[in-house]
Amino acid sequence: MRILWYQYFEFFSLLCALWCARGLKSFSITVFIPILLLDNLTEVVAVNHARFNWDTNYFIYNIYYLLSTPLYLYLFAVMLRGDRQEKRRLLGIGIAIEAFMLLDYFFIQGVMPFNTFSALLVAVMDIIFVCLILFRLTIRTDEAYFLLQDPYFWINAVLLLFSLVSLIVLGMHKYIVLYHLEFRHKNLYIAIIRAANAVLYTGYSAAFLLCQTQRSK
Amino acid sequence: MPDAKEQITTTILAVIIVLLFFGILFIVMVAWYNYRRRLTAREKKAMQDQFDQQLMQTRLEIQEQTFNYLSEEIHDHVGQLLSLAKIQLSSFKENEPIDFPLLKDAGANVARALQDLRSLAKGLHAGHISHFSIREAVDEEVQRIRKTGGLTVSVSSEGSEKKIKEDKQLILFRIIQECLQNCLKHAAATNIHIGFTWYAEQLRVRVRDDGQGFDAEQTLQLHSGLGLENIRNRARVTGGSSVIHSRPGEGTTVTVQIPYE
Repeated sequence: MRILWYQYFEFFSLLCALWCARGLKSFSITVFIPILLLDNLTEVVAVNHARFNWDTNYFIYNIYYLLSTPLYLYLFAVMLRGDRQEKRRLLGIGIAIEAFMLLDYFFIQGVMPFNTFSALLVAVMDIIFVCLILFRLTIRTDEAYFLLQDPYFWINAVLLLFSLVSLIVLGMHKYIVLYHLEFRHKNLYIAIIRAANAVLYTGYSAAFLLCQTQRSK
Repeated sequence: MPDAKEQITTTILAVIIVLLFFGILFIVMVAWYNYRRRLTAREKKAMQDQFDQQLMQTRLEIQEQTFNYLSEEIHDHVGQLLSLAKIQLSSFKENEPIDFPLLKDAGANVARALQDLRSLAKGLHAGHISHFSIREAVDEEVQRIRKTGGLTVSVSSEGSEKKIKEDKQLILFRIIQECLQNCLKHAAATNIHIGFTWYAEQLRVRVRDDGQGFDAEQTLQLHSGLGLENIRNRARVTGGSSVIHSRPGEGTTVTVQIPYE
């Protein structure tokens, strides 16, 4: 079984989430545990797709997008801390996004090729929600509140950076693959997305540890 | 073709770097904005605490001033009148005919003492100053100073009078009282003028005396004038400002500007 370097960051992040489960619970973000389990499982299967005699691993990522999007939407709903009406609106948006992704998966781009539209939609959705959450966090002025010690801030900060990178890389995925664009003799897509993944999961790990320390306080 | 590929790769990387730059900038701005907001909120709270503290101190000082005034009034007026009435009444003897004019006079003295007590009782009512406008409260204070004699106090007003927030009015009244006390205790003044100028957003009060004056700048720099410091602090906590102008031999002018709200 192959394990690539950036996957260690994912494993570490999952371990952190499990170790800081109580901290995550106190911040109502235990949904990270299934998200990270899904992430790790997807990466392990995708990296070792040749062992299963699959030509490509794109369909695995397509399924990943379909399954992880509702989990991320739930996470955003928790971090937005909106009222019932806002949650209802968010549910509507979530259903619409998921419906489009299913449409893309089954009818527009298909099951086997990489679903660029869905990936782009998820990246845009992430950017919008992350900005909204960061804005909400910004306007908090309570005496005891310190933004840099808030796990939500770090989760959203790394997610924003990751989404900005993935917006370009995933959007141009087909083009990069078709014309064999390379960076330092490596596929451009792979080089960038792996580094971005490493940053994302390091950020998550830091945020989980922060959850634990904040809970202890 | 390799050149074209390289160009596209560079462009993609450049776009990613630019996006990352804006992303990081946004995150830094978010953190900075939150920091500034918290700082402003903390400063606002500190100002409010300071205002509340000054307000409490002002209330206590006014209360103390009122008690001193009452003590003097009871001793000098009511006490005197009742003592006189007692002497008058004690001159009556059982077997002697009643001196009706003296009895009437004693009765009148008791009535005057009672009237004085009634007006004093009004002054004892907690927060009685808040029942008046600032102008009325100052007029009452001026009346009190005039009673002591030896000093001419005049009050003038420009513009139409407006309502000041109750807490601010109390603090302003205490500032004026402090100025008047300074005139009485240290200035050796013969004339005091209090001028009210009602602007659209704020009230300007100027207390001017023709006393011996002092080096205001030096006193404020050395922090030796506690009363002057109090005037400045109080004006500041109400969101207003104060200017103290004085030179030896030229009298003193204290100008206070306070917003209505």
